Amino acid sequence: MKARKPWLTTIAVSVIAVFLLLPLLNTLMTSLKTTGDINSFPPKFTFAPTLEHYRNVMFAAGYDFTSYFKNSILLSVFTSLFVIVIALPSAYSVIRLGFSSGRLLTLSMALRLFPPIVFAIPYYLMFQYLGLLDTVTGLILINIFLNIPLGLILMVGFLQELPYEIEESAKIDGCNVYQILWKIILPLMAPGIASVAILAFIFSWNDYLFAVIISLNKATPVTLGSTMFITSWGIKWGDISAATVLSILPPLLFTFFAQRYLVSGLSMGAVKG
Amino acid sequence: MKGLLTRCVTLALSLTVVLAGCGSNQDSSTDAGGASGGSEQSGTSKVSMVYWPGPESDAMQKVVDAYNSGQGKTDGVNVEMVLLSRDGTYEKEAAMMSSKSDEVDMYFTASYIIGQHAPSLDALDGKLNTDGYLKSSVDSLRMNNETLAIPMDVSNHFLLYRQDLIDQLLSDSAWKSKYGEVSQKVLGQTLEPKDPKDWTWDDFIAAAAFFSQEYNPDSPTKYGTALQMKNLIFNVMIWDDFLWSSGGSWLDESGKPQLNSDAAKKAMGIYSTIYNGKMTSPNSTVAEYPETQAALQSGNAAFAVQWGAAYDELNDPARSPNIAGKIAVAPIPGEHKTHVHALGVGLNKYAKNKEAALKWMNYLTTKDAMQIYADGGGIPPIAEVLNGLGEKKPVLPLIAEHVDKYGYSTPIIAETQPIMLKLAEDLSGAWAGKDDIGKALEKAQTDVTETLSK
Amino acid sequence: MVYSEKAAKWVLSFPLLLFWVVMVVFPAGYAIYLSLHDVSMGQGMSSFSGFGNYLEILGDADFWHSIGFTLEFALITTVLELVFGFLLALLFNRSFPGKRPLLSMVLLPIMVAPSLMGIMFRLILNENNGVATYFLSLLHIQINLFDPDLVVPLMIVLDIMQWVPFTFLIIYSGLQGVDPGLFEAASVDGASYWRTVLQIILPVIAPIFFIAAFLRGIDAFRTFDVIYVLTNGGPGNVTKTASIYIYEAAFKSGQIGQAASASVIVAVFLLLLIPFFVKRLSK
Repeated sequence: MKARKPWLTTIAVSVIAVFLLLPLLNTLMTSLKTTGDINSFPPKFTFAPTLEHYRNVMFAAGYDFTSYFKNSILLSVFTSLFVIVIALPSAYSVIRLGFSSGRLLTLSMALRLFPPIVFAIPYYLMFQYLGLLDTVTGLILINIFLNIPLGLILMVGFLQELPYEIEESAKIDGCNVYQILWKIILPLMAPGIASVAILAFIFSWNDYLFAVIISLNKATPVTLGSTMFITSWGIKWGDISAATVLSILPPLLFTFFAQRYLVSGLSMGAVKG
Repeated sequence: MKGLLTRCVTLALSLTVVLAGCGSNQDSSTDAGGASGGSEQSGTSKVSMVYWPGPESDAMQKVVDAYNSGQGKTDGVNVEMVLLSRDGTYEKEAAMMSSKSDEVDMYFTASYIIGQHAPSLDALDGKLNTDGYLKSSVDSLRMNNETLAIPMDVSNHFLLYRQDLIDQLLSDSAWKSKYGEVSQKVLGQTLEPKDPKDWTWDDFIAAAAFFSQEYNPDSPTKYGTALQMKNLIFNVMIWDDFLWSSGGSWLDESGKPQLNSDAAKKAMGIYSTIYNGKMTSPNSTVAEYPETQAALQSGNAAFAVQWGAAYDELNDPARSPNIAGKIAVAPIPGEHKTHVHALGVGLNKYAKNKEAALKWMNYLTTKDAMQIYADGGGIPPIAEVLNGLGEKKPVLPLIAEHVDKYGYSTPIIAETQPIMLKLAEDLSGAWAGKDDIGKALEKAQTDVTETLSK
Repeated sequence: MVYSEKAAKWVLSFPLLLFWVVMVVFPAGYAIYLSLHDVSMGQGMSSFSGFGNYLEILGDADFWHSIGFTLEFALITTVLELVFGFLLALLFNRSFPGKRPLLSMVLLPIMVAPSLMGIMFRLILNENNGVATYFLSLLHIQINLFDPDLVVPLMIVLDIMQWVPFTFLIIYSGLQGVDPGLFEAASVDGASYWRTVLQIILPVIAPIFFIAAFLRGIDAFRTFDVIYVLTNGGPGNVTKTASIYIYEAAFKSGQIGQAASASVIVAVFLLLLIPFFVKRLSK
């Protein structure tokens, strides 16, 4: 719709955006201050910016942040891929082929209800047996587990919105189920799939608890790495702020490029009729 | 769809490549201590040890490096330090211990948690010589007459105060008379200012009031002191000083809880008087170590009971420009008792490489190793090492002295940490004036009794 | 054979079923097994204790308090986040200059790991060098945001700051599918705008409201990081969530069996809600 004074909307939205972004703006500012400036009161809003904390995080702190980033990226990319590979066909099977009359769906959603902590120790034992401790593969498996319900719920919503007629006519043309899924559903669902991928990417990027339990030193992701600046003798505010800013960049870039898919994708499952 | 996926994967891959590129440069410069395939081929056994991130691990890394490039070669042992986040250290260890894992050879532990770790640790008596350490620190890692870990780092509390402000209080007659007036108001008796090393708890309260603008609008600081009242076991350790230095403790001689004692009521009373009287910031309810540092660094508070390690940062002009050089040390008021605990390392009962680990631990107990540790910023519980560094770090000899003279350890039992958790929860509400002191202590008494009976 | 629909539904569900067996059945079964035993850290498995752990947890006033607080917290935050997310989505549904960059900015908070977000809040709310406290003091507002009476509203506000963007995203996407004509009709007569929104738009996007409510409600119920970092459940136990309760039981007190049984109780409790949502989602 067209508002009469569009710039009023711009102002309103900007004010809200600034409010929501306060913690991040403050983080960004802190990451650029010297430790002395961070500790002074009243807080300084004008200061000589320094990159020392960024240098410290990446090269000097003795932590291998480059490999933490590598782990996080592998973890998030593969988690979102596998969530789709698992969720899409089974959502199709449940919705279109009537598999398990919805019980599988119920169970999978129920999964999301368990406080994840309860799985920490069983997973540790299981991965110990399978030799998956301290591996990115292990973290990927767990994050698929954490994100499958989200993927299923959204996919089911999207599928219900697709007009069944197209599939029917394809069937009449002699396409089998797999061809329909591959040639018709997949392209039609592309935006929805992309939105699931983005959300799974973000949520697996942000996991902390299982990163603690499963990784030791080789598979440490960046969320866990950042918390090493919290020490028993205080928090290195400058360093942890810099690490936080850096850790947002990959999901930010990912979302920035895929933003239009995110909104248009999620809008698929939205409306009936 | 394909376009998007391709783009995402390309993006991810290119980022990976870029980052990996940085990584390889990085590796070559810091990999000095890391284990490499080559050393394993030459028959070196690898020992992995969990440690705590922060100044402790910075210092330990120096010891590890020295060992790996020196005596470790003779021993045929290569040590790798595993760092987890501060909270994550104990979470991960809990997972490993309950699975009887051999993922690491040595666990990081501490006095307050050694009771819970005990079933997963090997006794070290007869295998290592711990005579060089301050006795209280070794004892704080012993249970049932077994030494379960060797102490690496010792922690205690001081009364840290602003020397400049106290000097003026002791000399300025206007300040002195105001002090008498304020103490009359909050305590009902007119007190003379005293040197902090001679403070009773009444002096502590009177000074806290004097330096609070609530009572003394001319006070240079907004609040007299900074209490650490967040619901945390570390804050219970600080409150314990108020309890012990008022003549109390958790358990009586027969091992029964005595949290409804008069001493406990007095210790609670000091907190609530200070908090309700606005002599500490209202935000103290979420304060712990860093917030207390900030209160002192910003010049908002005149003194605080704080961890010994704080001193260096407070007197460093780069990190504390407002107050560096003005902070002095006194013992805890009242009976001067300070909580002492040690961080240490113990041998995993299910480790694969016990022999190699013991060789490394043997090295750790030497004075040389602990000297490197102290030079790197750690606080090893060895009097000789701490005293030797007095010129560079004046606080270290004080730590050695206070730990020895005033140190006490909370009971070392399997329930140490569960009790602290209960106390943190039961008492932090009353500190903040939410719950009645008597009721909170009764609840603590019941909860601790129940915890011990399990 | 595989091409028949009967076979296909098994083939297509196979990855999920396999995943279920590997990643869910064993750990869930093991968690239940743990909950029936007397297990503590380091001791490994010891004796079978029947429902002892359950009775212990069910009799713990602290547990019930944490459930009560969590319910209150989850309910209030979810409702508020849906309302604010919806209002923000309505704003974004207009065309205005700077829409695309603002959309990216509004979504940013979702990308911060909650564990780090807690630290960031701690920095901003810090009394001695925090920006929030400083601004409040400029306005001559002298309050302790972490006072026992204010700490719950504060936690709710912080949760809203991070997660309104999420409900906004879902609801805004839903609005994209609404026939713009419906809004055109509304804007002709300004007074009827809200009536149109409530009577026509809202029913149309109701399904997506349920998705947003479900995803957000469950996550709010599992809230851990931000509260854990900021208050550790205090003062006292005022802000102790069920997740913090379970976490402390498992990792701090080392009572792994009890922690497992508390989790099972929480899960069973939430399971009762599932049929309600499934009905809405798959109608």
